[in-house]
This record gives sequence, C-alpha cells and structure tokens, in this order.
Amino acid sequence: MPVVRAWWWAALAALTLFGSLPSAALAGPLMLTEADLLLSDSPTPPPDDAPWQRVSLPDRERRVQPDQGGAAWYRMAFEVPASGAAAAPWAVYLPYFYDGAQLSLNGEPLAHIRGSDAEVRVRWVRPHLVTVPEPLLRPGHNVLRVRATLPEGRALQFPSPAIGTHDELLPLYDRRLFWQRTLPQTAVVLSVLMAAFVLCVWWRRRQEVLYGLLGLAVLLWGIRTLPFVFEQVPTALWALWRAVFFAAQAGFAVVMALFALRFAGLRLHWLERVLWAYWAIGPVVMWAGGPNTEPWIDRVWGAGLIPIGLMVLLLVAWSAWRQRTWQAGTLLAALGLVLVAGFHDYLMVSNVAWATRLAPVWLGHRIYLLHLAANLLLLVMAAILTSRFVQSLNGVEELNLSLERRVADREHQLANQFDAMAQLERDRAAEAERQRIMLDMHDGLGSQLFTSLSRVERGAMAQRDVAELLRDCIAEMRLALDALAPSDDDFRSAFGNFRYRWDAQLDAAGVHASWSIDASDEGLQVPPHQRLELLRVLQEALTNVVKHAHARSVQVRVASRTQGLRFEVQDDGHGLDAARVRTGRGLHNMRARAHRLGAELSVVGAQPGTCVILQLGMPASTAQAAQHPPDAAASLRSR
Amino acid sequence: MGIGVLIVEDEPEFLNRFAQAVRSDANLHLLGAVASGSEAIALLDDRVPDVMLVDLGLPDIDGVQLIRHAAARHPGTDVLVVTMFGDDEHVLASIEAGATGYLLKDTSIERIVASICEIRAGGSPISPTIARKVLGRFRAAPAAAAPALNGGAVGATEASPLSARETDILRLVSKGLSCAEVGQHLSISTHTVVTHVKNIYRKLAVHSRGEAIFEAGQLGLL
Repeated sequence: MPVVRAWWWAALAALTLFGSLPSAALAGPLMLTEADLLLSDSPTPPPDDAPWQRVSLPDRERRVQPDQGGAAWYRMAFEVPASGAAAAPWAVYLPYFYDGAQLSLNGEPLAHIRGSDAEVRVRWVRPHLVTVPEPLLRPGHNVLRVRATLPEGRALQFPSPAIGTHDELLPLYDRRLFWQRTLPQTAVVLSVLMAAFVLCVWWRRRQEVLYGLLGLAVLLWGIRTLPFVFEQVPTALWALWRAVFFAAQAGFAVVMALFALRFAGLRLHWLERVLWAYWAIGPVVMWAGGPNTEPWIDRVWGAGLIPIGLMVLLLVAWSAWRQRTWQAGTLLAALGLVLVAGFHDYLMVSNVAWATRLAPVWLGHRIYLLHLAANLLLLVMAAILTSRFVQSLNGVEELNLSLERRVADREHQLANQFDAMAQLERDRAAEAERQRIMLDMHDGLGSQLFTSLSRVERGAMAQRDVAELLRDCIAEMRLALDALAPSDDDFRSAFGNFRYRWDAQLDAAGVHASWSIDASDEGLQVPPHQRLELLRVLQEALTNVVKHAHARSVQVRVASRTQGLRFEVQDDGHGLDAARVRTGRGLHNMRARAHRLGAELSVVGAQPGTCVILQLGMPASTAQAAQHPPDAAASLRSR
Repeated sequence: MGIGVLIVEDEPEFLNRFAQAVRSDANLHLLGAVASGSEAIALLDDRVPDVMLVDLGLPDIDGVQLIRHAAARHPGTDVLVVTMFGDDEHVLASIEAGATGYLLKDTSIERIVASICEIRAGGSPISPTIARKVLGRFRAAPAAAAPALNGGAVGATEASPLSARETDILRLVSKGLSCAEVGQHLSISTHTVVTHVKNIYRKLAVHSRGEAIFEAGQLGLL
C-alpha cells in the first residue's frame, strides 16, 4: 500500500512539474525567433547600414572576440496590430538573461539590466519582464534593440524574447520565477536545516553512515543551489564562487554514489577512494587554472559525473532487484529522474549540436531540471531514512514489549517457584512435627506402657501402682492433646486447659492451688514445637508436688519479662532432699526437657517447700517463631 | 424418690462403673443401664429420667441423635455426655443437641455422683476449650445465619443471644480460670457461675435448633 501511494505522489508531482512548463511555449504572445546581430562596443545603436547579420533566436555560443570588443547588438523587428496597441499595457519578456543588457524600443531607452563590472559579477537566474511605456509602442512596425554585454569565459545566451500584453506575460514570468528561483531558494533553506538535523543525528550515532551521507548530500546540494539565490557576487570572490559551485555539484554526485554503495550493502574502499579523487580534480583544476577553465570543467569534468551517476543508478537498481522493497524502488525511480534531468541540463548547458537540433525550442527555454529532480531525490532519501528510523523505533518498542513479557513470565515463574518452595518448607515443617510427635510417643507414653506391662506381667506392680501408672499415661495423653489440639491457636489456650485440669486434680489431692499470670495475651507466646515440652516440665513439677511434697498449697506463677517467660512452681511441702535432687528420675527428666527447650531449670529450696523455676529465653523462642512463617505455623495447627 | 438416672454405655466396664456410682449414693436411683441407642429410646418411651449419661460411641445410633431425641422427648431431663477427654467436637455437638454437661470417663466414682448432683442442682461443668468453642460458635453463627445483614461486628454482638455476663464468664473460663475464680472475679458465687453455664448450653441448643430450622427453610423442607 505505501508503495502504491508513493508512486502515485511521484506521478502527481511529475504532472504538476512538467505539465505546466510546455504552456510557456504555447502562450499567446509574439515570440521573436529572428534577430539582426552586430558585434560592436558602441554605446549607441549602430546605423542600419552596418554589417548586421541575421541570426535565429535563441542565439547560443556568442563569445567575446579579441578584436570586436565585449558587446553584441541585437535588432528585432515586430508588428503590433493596430487594435492591440491600445490594449495597454504591453511588456517584453526575457525568460532568461544571465548578463547585463540595455534595451531600447524604437530608439527610446526601455530598460537596463545590470551587467558584470569591476565590482560584481552577475549571473541572473530570474527571468525579466519589462513593461513598455504606452507612448513607445507604435501600431504596426516596431524595433526592439538590445545591447548585450558578452560575458568572460563563457558564451552569451540570448533568448527568444516574447512581446505581448503585460497580463499575458505575467503568468509566464511568475511561473518561471517560481520554478527557477523561488523553489531553489526554498530548497537552499530547507537543505541547510535538514542537513543540520540529519548530521546531528549522525553525530550522535556514527555507526549510521547512511545518515551522515544523506546529511552531506543535502548540504552539498544546498551549496550547489546557492547561485540560484545570490545572483551578484563580488568579482574578487567569483573564481572561488564558481569553484565551490562545481565542487558541491560533483561532491553531491560522489556522495550519492557512496550512499548507493552503502545502500546496496557494498563496501569497496578502492572505489570510494577513486570517487573522492575524481571529485577533487575539478576544484583543483579551477583553482590552478583560473576562470578560463570553466568551460572545460563544465564539459569534460562534468561529463565524468554521468558515468558515476549511471553507476549509482545500476547499484540502486541492483539492490532494488535484490531487496524488492518500496524504499529501493522509489530510490531507483528518483535516481532515474535525477540522471535524466542531469543529462538534460548537461546537454542544454553544453549546447551539444544534436540535442539542439532535436529540441531547439525546449532547450531554448533553458529550464534547469536537475535541481528539481535532486530535491525530489533528497526527499525520497529522507523518507527512506525516516522509515528506517521509525522501523527501528518500532523494533525497539517491540523488543521492550517482548522483554517486559519475558520479565513478567520470569516473575511469574519465580513466584511459582517461591510458592512451591514455601509449600515444600511447610511440608518439611509438618514432617518434622510429625517426627517429633512420633518420637515423643515412642519415648514417653510408649516406653512407659512397655515398662509397666513388663512389670505387671511379672507381678511386680501392685494394683494401686498400676492405676497410678495408667492415670499418668492418661494425663500424658491429655497433655499432648492440650498442646496439639488443632483448634487451639496459641499457648494461652493450651495453658488454660492445663490449668483447668490441674486445678481439679490438685483440688482432689487436697492441695490448694493459686495461679498468678503476669503476662499479656501477647506476652504468653510459645512456639508450637515447644508447648508440649514446656507443659510436661510444669506437669512434672506439679506431679512432684502432689506425690512427694505433701504440700498444702502450691503457687504457680507465670511472668513475661523482656528476657523471656518465667514459670515458677512453689509448694509449701517438706522440700526435696539432696539425694532426690541428684538421682531422681523426675528431676532428671525435667532437666533434659528444659535443655531441649533451651530453657534454664533451677530447683531451689524455699522456706518452707521447694520452688521450681523454668526460665524460657525469649530470644530463642522469638527466633524460633521467626523461622516459621505464619502460614507454615497455620498449616501445622490445622493438620 | 431421689434422682432417676439412665445410663447408655456400650462398654460393660464403664456401664458397671457408672451403675456402681449411682447405686453408691442414696439420693440416686438407677432407672436403667442399657448398651445401645435403640434400647435407650424404647426405655425413654415409658420412663422419664432426671439425668441421663450417654456415651457417644454407641453401636446402633449416633449418640448425638439420641441426645436430641431425649431432649425433645423430655425437656426436663439433664443429659451428661460421657467423653474420654472432654475437649473434642463431639462434646460441643452434644451440647448443641441438648446436653447440659459432660463427664470424663476416668472420673472417680465420688466425682461421678457429685457431677450428677451438681447438674441436678442447676449447674454445668465447662472447660476452657468448650468455652472458647461456644464463644466462637456465637461469634460465627449470626454471620452464617443472616448473610444478608451487613451489620458487621455491632450486628454480630446484637444478634448474639448471650448476655454480657455470660460472655464474660465464657471469656474468663476460656483463659483457664476455674468456676470459683470466675465467681471471685465477677463477684458472684460459684453456683451462679455454673448456672450461667447451664443457661449458655441451653441457649446453644436452642440456637442450634434455630439454625437447623433456618437451614431446613433454606432447603425447602419446611
């Protein structure tokens, strides 16, 4: 679709450009195609009997002759219809006149076009429209005389003047002015801006050589178009001015060739060097040889640019064939146009005989086409690079998007992995818990039952002992249930149950119990795996009170301090004797359990009775709690 | 006449133990001691026990069903659930079915008699676990029964059938305080505390029946 659109625009542009030009030739005004010529320096019109010779217009190749001075007189006669003279105002239109001239009508001065002198060199690009004052024009026979200054170093180009009413001629003048002067002026400004922009891009991204070449081409083209802007140049700078013009024009061709090479993906260093060397010849010759070398430069060196252009065309055609992209195709078409235009301009400027015979009228108009085609070419190149730029931006965006997607995917994977790891962790914690309970049952209840069974079987146990043993087992089970009860989410509940049960038990044993809990609900925290062990120590202590101490009362105190939880079981019994402290199984068990808890157990004599103190270090318990993520603890409880 | 006791227990060992306890006290007299639910239902048809001891693990009928039947048939009968540890879900289910107390299987004979007398005197035992579960039941229930109400926490307390005093008692018991301590704490007698507990159990049963009716309505059965 973009290809079609691009071609459509190109076709429209061509139609606008060329469709309008032939109308200049078909206009109604009177075209003067013949003149009498006399080479003479005379400031006044030479007499009619002087050796005038008849020439056809436009007159090309009129050069300075050493013996005849620097001016040429043209005399043109024309008839004005009687009715037409009244339809004022009339005008004389010169589609081009590059040098100075004096115009007179019927012997009266009509206009003066400034020519080159000691101070400035002129080369008028603009057309000239001279309004004829009404009294000067006579119905019937009129004579227009032009004294033209012959330029140095090149031929005088004398156009075919048109005479008609001002209204007829003005559109011709305007159109030519636009195409030959206004448009190049605009092109110069745009070229400079565009070159600055593109070269800035290249400056920051040196690897994009195509941008650099485009910028250079645009800049050279802007310089090459300068003579269309500045028509008068100080004489001192003239040689330099022309040298710059030719250098820029040839440089444009060379840079285009380099652009085409790169575009085709070719890196031929020798060819690039040859191209630069060829480019250097022109300016060097001009600098060394002076203004007189200009015709040679124009015809010979300029002609050498045509094969370079052809090479560019072939390269682009080749890459268009290979790439089959709209960019390559459009570039090929634009280049073709440039070459045709350049060839056309060359034929026109050089006055090649066969070409002049082939299209005398068209070439007589001296319409330069190259700068129009070149503008088109530059636009095409800019469009190509813009589309590349846009493509690479889109590519970057796409890359970013795909990177984002990949990052999101990876994040998702990581989250899944983390979930899996957390699940694994929970499973491991659950497994550890299960192991612990099994070990507990094996070492605790299990061994107690097995030992007792053995003793009962050999009749070593009294009935009362058996009952007591079984009560111990039941108490052990109750304790385990308290500590492991699935719905009990904290130590507070387990401790509440423990207290409730022991209250009844101590009451039944005739021991008055008083409990004091100096801890907030938050302070009374024990990690799940420590609860059972902790309650066992307390149970053992209370069992000792009931069984051995013969106490009347017992105080159970729980206190939460910054350094941890402190449990105290103090009775008013007859105290522990030293031997029991050392050898008693119960105490031994308590110490072992306290050790496993990482707690400190101390048994001190009170007055009277005994006090068992269990100090559970808070740092250890909180550290343990921190190791279990909340959800892992929840999964343990809900099993 | 004394307190008429019916024992439903499938294990002969415990049946004997409970029967022995009942016989040991002059104030109690054994109305019957059966080992299955069907026998108990048959017996309930022509006798009205004052206290009924029910083991949940019966061979023929779910103990909770039997309790529901007894509570419906003889609202004046106090049902004591016989339980191994006194803290499982079954105790709560039994209370919701209409039981007003529980008895641990390893309770001494003296304690069995005392428990029967206490429940007849208007009190009920309660453990921290049960207190917590009852609290939880009343907290969760209004939201479940009336999901359309978006009253939040205020709506929940308003909808709770428990009085502030009853809620306080449950909260203290759930922390492990004995009934005597709760009484001290609230400046009421222990007897009042256990009476409150019995009322709480009744409310729970009524509440659970209400829920059953609500659910039946939802299912289109009523």
